[in-house]
Amino acid sequence: MPFGHRVSGWRVGADHRTITFLFPDEFHARLLESLQQNGALAVTLEEFPSHETYQFKGRFVRHREIQDADLENVDRIRQRFVKSLRPMYPHAPEDVLKRFVSPPSLAVDFEVLEIFLQTPGPGAGTRLVPPMDR
Amino acid sequence: MVTCSADGTPNTTVISQVYYVDETHAALSFQFFSKTIRNVRENPRAFVCVFDIAGQAHWALQLAFERSETEGPIFDAMEMQIEAIASMTGMSGIFKLRAADIYRVLSVEKVPHAD
Repeated sequence: MPFGHRVSGWRVGADHRTITFLFPDEFHARLLESLQQNGALAVTLEEFPSHETYQFKGRFVRHREIQDADLENVDRIRQRFVKSLRPMYPHAPEDVLKRFVSPPSLAVDFEVLEIFLQTPGPGAGTRLVPPMDR
Repeated sequence: MVTCSADGTPNTTVISQVYYVDETHAALSFQFFSKTIRNVRENPRAFVCVFDIAGQAHWALQLAFERSETEGPIFDAMEMQIEAIASMTGMSGIFKLRAADIYRVLSVEKVPHAD
């Protein structure tokens, strides 16, 4: 059975091969159990309103507690999220929109093995890394 | 939306619409992602998380794929809503409904936001 977990933030690792994803409390259920079971992870990130979207697939490396830099990262992402949703929800209170990006409580490092384009359109599903001819 | 192939490889996508069919079924919009439909034909279980601005929560649904419909009242209603969503989000002419995928709802869980 597949399970999904929303993330509050992410950061590309210094080695450019790993990404750290930051998970909020409410999406912890079954997360570590699933990752330790088979280690397979897929994450989709979408930029709104452009709908530019990528899916990253790879393997669980490790998890750790949240650090101050992670909280700052999520603050920036939360501000960007509220700004991008504002045209669609012009009357929604600021704090209601902000609560959709919860404070993170767990960081998960993940080795990226494949990247797919998912931006809506004819190229959706194209594998970018490694290129399709490999 | 999350699906898995028969060997357990996960696949995630952003979908435009989760449509209420009846008390035990939901229809998901199939627009671009053939991997999703390949997966649910191998392994019919799926997971979807819905964003609820008005209710200030997410909803997590566990689903089992039953069939795809490319015509009929559910398809027509979803196609009309997809056009409205496309217009609202600047995707007119790009969003096109290819099928209404009908899933049996196995569980529904409200995921309230942390304070």
